[in-house]
Amino acid sequence: MSASSRILVVDDEPQILRALTTTLRGAGYDVQQAATGHDALAAVAVHPPDAVVLDLILPDLSGIEVCREIRRASDVPVIVLSAVGEERTKVDALDAGADDYVTKPFGVEELEARLRAVLRRVPQAPEPVVTLDDVTVDLDAQLVTRDGEPVSLTRTEFLLLRFMVENRGKLLTHRMILQKVWGPSYQVESHYLHVYMSRLRQKLEADPAHPRHLLTEPGAGYRLI
Amino acid sequence: MNVAQAFDRLGGLRGRPRQLAALGSSVAAVVVLSLAVAALKPVAPLISLGSLYLFGVLAIAIAFGLAWSIAVSVASMLAFNWFFVPPVHTFTISDSRNWFALGSYLLTAVVVSALATRARGRAAEAEQRAHETAVLADLATALLRGTDIEHELETVARRSADVLGATTARIELGPPHPAGPGQAPLPLTVGQRQVGTIYVDDQAAPGLSAQRRFLPALASLLAVAVDRDELARQAVQAETLRRSDTAKTAVLRAVSHDFRTPLTAIGTAAQGLADRSLELTDDDREALLDTIRVETERLNRLVANLLDLSRLQAGAAAPVRELWTADGLVTQALAAMGERASRVRADMPADLPPVSVDPAHAQRVLVNLLENALRHSPPGEPVVVRGTRTRRETIIRVVDRGPGIPADRLEEIFEPFSGDSGSGAGLGLAIARGFAEANGGRVWAESQPGQGASFAFALPVQESPA
Repeated sequence: MSASSRILVVDDEPQILRALTTTLRGAGYDVQQAATGHDALAAVAVHPPDAVVLDLILPDLSGIEVCREIRRASDVPVIVLSAVGEERTKVDALDAGADDYVTKPFGVEELEARLRAVLRRVPQAPEPVVTLDDVTVDLDAQLVTRDGEPVSLTRTEFLLLRFMVENRGKLLTHRMILQKVWGPSYQVESHYLHVYMSRLRQKLEADPAHPRHLLTEPGAGYRLI
Repeated sequence: MNVAQAFDRLGGLRGRPRQLAALGSSVAAVVVLSLAVAALKPVAPLISLGSLYLFGVLAIAIAFGLAWSIAVSVASMLAFNWFFVPPVHTFTISDSRNWFALGSYLLTAVVVSALATRARGRAAEAEQRAHETAVLADLATALLRGTDIEHELETVARRSADVLGATTARIELGPPHPAGPGQAPLPLTVGQRQVGTIYVDDQAAPGLSAQRRFLPALASLLAVAVDRDELARQAVQAETLRRSDTAKTAVLRAVSHDFRTPLTAIGTAAQGLADRSLELTDDDREALLDTIRVETERLNRLVANLLDLSRLQAGAAAPVRELWTADGLVTQALAAMGERASRVRADMPADLPPVSVDPAHAQRVLVNLLENALRHSPPGEPVVVRGTRTRRETIIRVVDRGPGIPADRLEEIFEPFSGDSGSGAGLGLAIARGFAEANGGRVWAESQPGQGASFAFALPVQESPA
């Protein structure tokens, strides 16, 4: 992570814009502001930032439209700010290409942690062997071991785990996972996903009810950390 | 069957069968009475026997009306002339006295016919009137009983069909619609106002009296019933408005209080931090900052709860359902609670059937139940989430070891602004129940005093091929 990373903050509330700008500058970021969706798109085109912090409710475009437009031209990480009651919009924004979200009102530490995570995540080939505490996942060998003992996974369980490992740290919406693992026709059958996630946790997590790696992102999806 | 009933039965026929019956009866009357005259001829003066035919004329007049009885009068006069008046088997009359007898017979027959027909008509009308009155009285009782008028319309239509001589009838309130095939519309009007329309089959032959008397009376009855329904509706609306006004006032009062407390704390803390004349230690500063953070969080929960409540009360919380496992719902709720969930133990069997629910709504239900349980548990005591199923429902129970709830408060605690307003104005349980019900589920409390409380969240089982 570079401390001089440039962040574009998009929000039409002057007080929130000011508070975010002040704290992010204090954390060493170079902060650029936009108060409308069109301003944001222009800023991304003219002077591409390293990451975008985007409020979902803007006076001109919806946050989802802004995400979609940004994704047409750029892979810049986007973190959306969503309030309680905007769950649906948040998931739509994630499906439209946003990388992550924080729920308002958020702690500044939380936003910074998310920013660090998306800035660190430079596209790269996934590591073939990943370790999650006592569990080791070898994608090439299709082998999962726990305490050195092989764990037997069904084919779907393995596909699900592989997709999570390949996108470690990234928030994956239900739709993304269903499309990738089960295929395009499985978009509303989210209970399959929950059943398999629950089985993976039983097999891989020390305390399946309070998972440490296969995390539920409430109202959004799953994330492997 | 007596004679009157036989007449009624014959007279009650309609259309072609009636014509045939009239013709047959007329011919039979002339033939039978001619035979009677022939039989009595040896014992009585011939010319007086002509009056026997009057019985036939009278009967036909009563059963079939004036036209047929006049026909019988003429036919019987001709038959008497042909068979009995000398010279027989001719229509010639030799004796001028017989001319007079036949003439006066014909006149008498016609007058008798007219009188009998009129009496018959009066009797029929009186009967029809009595029928109409009885039906109207029944309908008045049914319509004004106080039940919904729409429910009574079918009965009213059926009874009206009877009076109007129709086999079927249908009543529609309000402005007329185009009648369907085979239907004749009869407007139901009171003055200038068309209350509705009664549609009868077009074979029906409603008498003039039915149209003049019955329909206006029926229309008036319906008008009164419609007006009464409308008044009742308005009264209910007014009462609802009045109550919701009262409720709004209560809500605003509670909410203002709940907002003011954290705002005061935040304002005071911020002023303290800004005031350079105060000598604050680092710990003091930290405490003031912590007050701002904690109270902000409290305000935030309050706003979120109010938003939820308003969406529920406005019916704007339409669920977007997905199939979920109970286990997945619980895990999601625990993840949403973060650190606060560390005291929660989950005991969820993996084989619970999936449920169809809006996951965001289910999360609100579970988080609110869990926060309520955590708030009422002694510190250090765990809160347990337990999954069970019945034949029809998957049930998630949140069990605490708090003081429990008295039996008479088990329902009351689900009312908004009831009980502890420590955080979120005591809205959490009301919101939990609201979201559960919006998804076809239920939330209720069970408690043994002194042994903690259990809050159950039940969702209908979704049979699925999975």
